[in-house]
Amino acid sequence: MAHRVGRRKNVKKGFQFTLMAVGASGLGRTTFINTLCDADVVPKRECDEPEMAHIEEGIKIKPYSVEDGVKISLTVVDTPGFGDMIDNEYCFQEILGYLERQYDDILSEESRIKRNPRFRDNRVHALLYFIAPTGHSLREIDIELMKRLSPRINVIPVIGKSDTLTPSELADFKKRIMQDIEHYNIPIYNFPYDPEEDDEETVYENSELRSLLPFALIGCEEEIVVNGRKVRARQYPWGIVEVDNSQHCDFAKLRFALLSSHLQDLKEITHDYLYENYRTEKLSRSAENLAEGDSSQEDHHMRMREEQTRKEEDKLREIELKVQRELKEKQQELVAKQQQLRDIDANLVTVQ
Amino acid sequence: MSQVGAGIGIANLPNQRHKIVAKRGANFTLMVCGESGLGKTTFINTLFTTAIKTPKTYKRRYNKTAEKTVEIEIIRAELEEKQFNVKLSVIDTPGFGDYTNNRDSWMPIVDFIDDQHESYMRQEHQPKRQELSDMRVHCCLYFIRPTGHTLKPLDIEVMKRLGTRVNLIPVVAKADTMTPTDLHKFKKRILEVIAAQNIQCYTFPLESDDEASTKRNMSIMAAMPFSIIGSTEDVQTLDGRVVKGRQYSWGVAEVENEDHCDFKKLRQLLIRTHMLDLISSTEETHYETYRHAQMETRKIGEPKVKTVTNPKWKEEEEALRKRFTEQVRLEENRFRSWEQQLIAERDRLNKDLEAEHSHIKALEAELESMQVGLSPKRK
Repeated sequence: MAHRVGRRKNVKKGFQFTLMAVGASGLGRTTFINTLCDADVVPKRECDEPEMAHIEEGIKIKPYSVEDGVKISLTVVDTPGFGDMIDNEYCFQEILGYLERQYDDILSEESRIKRNPRFRDNRVHALLYFIAPTGHSLREIDIELMKRLSPRINVIPVIGKSDTLTPSELADFKKRIMQDIEHYNIPIYNFPYDPEEDDEETVYENSELRSLLPFALIGCEEEIVVNGRKVRARQYPWGIVEVDNSQHCDFAKLRFALLSSHLQDLKEITHDYLYENYRTEKLSRSAENLAEGDSSQEDHHMRMREEQTRKEEDKLREIELKVQRELKEKQQELVAKQQQLRDIDANLVTVQ
Repeated sequence: MSQVGAGIGIANLPNQRHKIVAKRGANFTLMVCGESGLGKTTFINTLFTTAIKTPKTYKRRYNKTAEKTVEIEIIRAELEEKQFNVKLSVIDTPGFGDYTNNRDSWMPIVDFIDDQHESYMRQEHQPKRQELSDMRVHCCLYFIRPTGHTLKPLDIEVMKRLGTRVNLIPVVAKADTMTPTDLHKFKKRILEVIAAQNIQCYTFPLESDDEASTKRNMSIMAAMPFSIIGSTEDVQTLDGRVVKGRQYSWGVAEVENEDHCDFKKLRQLLIRTHMLDLISSTEETHYETYRHAQMETRKIGEPKVKTVTNPKWKEEEEALRKRFTEQVRLEENRFRSWEQQLIAERDRLNKDLEAEHSHIKALEAELESMQVGLSPKRK
């Protein structure tokens, strides 16, 4: 019951949600984001000059804001360049650094003496990791990334460009991926539920979503006419694949889970569990290093310095106000004196 | 030159040659290169319509070794059609492009190709040249991931190196991922990159004796890089035909349908029309290039100078060297302390000796004085 009430509250109040999409280029990440938001949020990749194609560009992290009429503030973070270089060891650290920086901002904001009421929470609530539809099993880079990032964020594995696989191939592939995830102990977000505490509907919903993991996705921005209706679909010489058709892919179910039913759950887990873990780790690390005077000291110093600068700013503002006040007083005095002079003049005239 | 009259039968020479060649059979080595999961095994089995290579087994995938290497896997098969034998060798490169760090992952592949040329060259120099084992790679199919964007830096690096050593044919794998317009754009971009990066791909003479062949050749060349779909299963299409294809819930992608993919053209190229050209261009052009390069720097019979540029070996070498210097230093220290001990010991003994000496001298002096004391008494 509480769950459903929460959902209604969401829709009424509007919500803020940050989603990150990670995967090698060519897996439909950008198209998926645009399909999800039903708008051209991320510009299509412009292929560089053919002469420059051998130059390896690193990974870039780009957040895009989507403002919808339905009181939604959705931020999607794209990561172009992931897994495209010859040596990709560096990519993991970049993404992890970005996630931890958002946590750091919240942490420092919490501990500030004077908090900023308009502070924007940029923590990422869910990460969609795009797996290549090889049909075999997880590759080394997939395992590495999911393992390294799951302590900091809810990882949801998805299969990009899943219209490459026939239904039987897709089922086998999904099974093998889940086996791999279990074997390597990767803690992904698997729609947790408690069979004893939660009601039947929640249990059913969550176990159904869990059985669909990893979600098979197809992205498409163009609309074509199928049977008189306009649908988002990809047209092949041998058939038409519809994005919103549950028989063709899991896009609709994932969108509903991400933006409606499980949005609150993802945010809660991020705040109550992942953020708290990070906070504990970081603060206990800085407590250890306090005796040695380490980089956390510098953080502390920086915070103090920030406080000082803000105090000085306040002081300056006060001084400015005082000066203005004095100025006004002096002006008034001047006016009064002028008035007196004029009176005396008038008296003189009358006396004469 | 005089025209021979009614004909003595010289024109029969090609037929004689045909008989000899037909009896000898042919030897064809094909290499497939690309990341795992691009349909290489399926393609090979589709191309030769038999299960040349067994599909991957997943049971042992957790037993992966810590060594992240690229292996070379050789599968041999003998094909026979209308009494003509072909000894087929398929070279696979499992592990290529599969790791987080793929630097230098092309080394084993490039080394393998060079080694085949090397081994053939050495066999030619032997006194007995009958039984030549020839595994020179006649054709390398490079499988490109259907990203829809462009070639990756890894692809460019490898293709550059392969193109100068072997007949390289780029292939767009799993072409049923892309719609026809996307596929067309992708192919165009790949060709642009290949031209801009100076990657040598396989080309063959287009002009031929008859119109039909020329036209066919041109259409084959125009389809490069070939988009392929591989399948060994028979499925039924919507209009009732039974074809080799992939059955989706929205339709059937057919392997041999020219609107769906370029499989037929590639098969034509590889087997029906240009297999001989592939073999002879390998033997003549690529082998000669290799031989030429090697002979400029080496004499006949000298073994090849191997440049070990394997980074893992370098690391191991460094580690060993460090250990070695460490041990040498330890030993030196030990010797020095031992030396010092010996010196200390020697000094101590010397001092004792001196002490003894002086003691003896003292005693002698006493003796003398006593003797002196005695002797005057005797007088």
